[in-house]
Amino acid sequence: MLRVENIWKSFSGVPVLRDVSLDVRAGEVHAVAGANGAGKSTLMNIVSGVLTSDSGTILWDGSPVELKTPADGRALGISFVHQELALVPQLSVGENVFLGRHPVNRLGVAWDEIHRRTRELLSAMGHTIDPTRLVKEFGVAEQQLVEIARALAIDARLIIMDEPTAPLSGAETARLFGTISGLRARGVSIIYITHRLPEIFQLADRVTVLRDGCHVLTCATSAITSEELVRKMVGDAPAALDEGRPAARARELFRVEGFTNAGKFEDISFEVHAGEVLGLAGLVGAGRTELVEAIFGFGPCDRGALYLDGKQIRVRSPFDAVRCGLALVPDDRKAKGLVANASVGFNLGLTSHDQFLLRPRWLRESAEAIVRDLRVRLSSLDQPVTTLSGGNQQKIVLGKWLRVGARVYFLDEPTRGIDVSAKAEIHNLIGRLAREGAGVVVVSSEIDEILGVADRILVMHRGRIAGELTRGEASEKRIVQLATGGE
Amino acid sequence: MANAATVRSEGTRSWRSAPLSVLRRLGAVLALLAMCAILAALSDHFLTFDNLMNVFRQSAVNTLLALGQLLVIVTAGIDLSVGSILGFACVVAALMLKAGAPAWLSILGAIAVGTALGSVNGLLLTRLRLPHPFIPTLGMMNVARGLALVISGGFPISGLPDGFRWLGAGKIGFIPAPVLVVLAVCAVLHLFLNRTMVGRDIYAIGGNKQAAVLCGIPVNSRLTLVYAISGGLAGLAAVLLAGRMNSGFPLAGAGAELDSIAAVIIGGASFFGGVGTVSGTLVGALMIGVLRNGLNLLDVSSYWQSAVIGVVIVMAVWIDVMRQRSASKNAHGS
Repeated sequence: MLRVENIWKSFSGVPVLRDVSLDVRAGEVHAVAGANGAGKSTLMNIVSGVLTSDSGTILWDGSPVELKTPADGRALGISFVHQELALVPQLSVGENVFLGRHPVNRLGVAWDEIHRRTRELLSAMGHTIDPTRLVKEFGVAEQQLVEIARALAIDARLIIMDEPTAPLSGAETARLFGTISGLRARGVSIIYITHRLPEIFQLADRVTVLRDGCHVLTCATSAITSEELVRKMVGDAPAALDEGRPAARARELFRVEGFTNAGKFEDISFEVHAGEVLGLAGLVGAGRTELVEAIFGFGPCDRGALYLDGKQIRVRSPFDAVRCGLALVPDDRKAKGLVANASVGFNLGLTSHDQFLLRPRWLRESAEAIVRDLRVRLSSLDQPVTTLSGGNQQKIVLGKWLRVGARVYFLDEPTRGIDVSAKAEIHNLIGRLAREGAGVVVVSSEIDEILGVADRILVMHRGRIAGELTRGEASEKRIVQLATGGE
Repeated sequence: MANAATVRSEGTRSWRSAPLSVLRRLGAVLALLAMCAILAALSDHFLTFDNLMNVFRQSAVNTLLALGQLLVIVTAGIDLSVGSILGFACVVAALMLKAGAPAWLSILGAIAVGTALGSVNGLLLTRLRLPHPFIPTLGMMNVARGLALVISGGFPISGLPDGFRWLGAGKIGFIPAPVLVVLAVCAVLHLFLNRTMVGRDIYAIGGNKQAAVLCGIPVNSRLTLVYAISGGLAGLAAVLLAGRMNSGFPLAGAGAELDSIAAVIIGGASFFGGVGTVSGTLVGALMIGVLRNGLNLLDVSSYWQSAVIGVVIVMAVWIDVMRQRSASKNAHGS
């Protein structure tokens, strides 16, 4: 029904899809699997008309079509249920289903018809939801149904679902699978994107694997094992281990016990040793950012305890955390790390809480020392921090903690979106902090990075620690297996 | 918008003046001087020493309110209650004097009452987690005005002792006392904002609240402090106004919050927070004062004055936006 052939796509010169093909048959559930950055989302955006490809053809029922906007996709009957649901929470279920296409009669909007047809669509899927209630009164699972109903309301024949089970509980997942099976029986095709291997075998008829923007394989799910699928996703090459630093197992510096925030992370316990780099691996959405932010007192947490040097510490806010000697480099440096309209010097001075009266000379000299130390490329401390490159901005976010010197550093995606040389410099710095006796916790979705810098690796899956790997045991394959819930 | 904000670094300059920021601040001063030159050409009286002192004296109250407002706006907030707090503090000071309190105690009383009401604003914002400072300060604007009317019975309390009136109406040599008060407050606030860590925290909170929290800055107590200072300065402004008018009247400062906001914005601060200077605010307040004074000298009716000032506010900010847009284009082009 849908056939995509030889798609190429690059963003600012970097190819993200290289000669990718995909075909979807009528009435099948077709899973698309691949690690973070494999090109899954880009491909789906091209299929639904959000992006246009650089080259390649899309055939719909055998004839070539051009998809320039999402509206083109919808007109053909292609509907995309995004990870972040695109509903208006303050409007009713029925109005959301018919948003922008309200049926009208002589008196204006035909509310009766909206509600009647919404009820029909939902009951055809086997659900009863009152179409007059507001979307915000419902949980994520019901909201997903509303999105699917919206797709059916425009007679969608192909529905793309991006990680639909990520926010769902076990029972809700089972119900969604029931709904999907019902859709398949009615001849609707589903492209199902997921990181979770068991779901692929449970639900999908066929699976396509992408790796680094290339098409690796398409086959029936009955013709492949979970083991083989993981190997296809990560490639056959054995991970190269950097043997630069001996595994440090000195004394315990910092310990987390029973950290829980229902729905985000559950019962997390681990310890960090002085001089150790602990890697926190997992897929996006596994709860790692929520965990480190909760440890730092920035995010919510139902229960749990922290110990520094064996003594319990109370951290109710980042204010407490910083005074206990913790430091956090957040995952999103624009939103949480930098004061964007201020100068480089200002940003480096943000942590000088021990000062009251500021001595300009001291501030300048200590800022210059950090800039030299981290080899930040800039023309003046007074230049706006946003005029620096991403890598140099990240060095500033990190550098402000060096001035005060923390005991335990939490680095959340410390090299996301920065160039290779800055990345190497930050990796060196991580090693140096550990050698100087600090504990460093590195959260990263890049498996190579985790393997390269960490002495010990915790892998998180759906808010829990799925496994702990020593430097010797760790491999890309092992991490992907644990992170995707495989055995 | 984000691009425009990125180059607004002058307010957060903590050491060493980049030449660009000097030029930018001079821009506002030049506009003020140009306005003075035009008025001097149109009116013989404008450029006399007495008249200029008059402008300073009349601008004193608005300048003090604007300086408090500046701190609030730098944190990306707004304080709508400063005019009403001024009115309430006026009445409190006058009643204390009538009850026989000495001048110094009444002055402290007015400042303390303003600080207390300002703290309440801050606590409402940070403890009750009201969604925007607009809400608590709008509430306080009504509450403080109501209380001022209640405790005064709605009537002005006139005939205040000279000892109290000196700050608002006295002179040292030929310089009016309120001018000295304003300059002293400017100096202290400038040092506070630029030379103390707490001052830098205030810019950080306005520039990026999440980043400020994650750096370990006690954001809630800093915000409470800022609203307390704003209220305290409104209390001090009340002392100057009551002294000058020789009366504590409950409707004093009605609408003054808007003039104070105008002075801060004309002075180059941004509603998005993180940007703003004491010197800019002083220039902004003087610009409004000069305009009022000049229009008076030219016999323009007060109805028209209001319209002209409205146009000037919008133009001042528009010019600023245009300048920043071109500056940000240059920055991106290089």
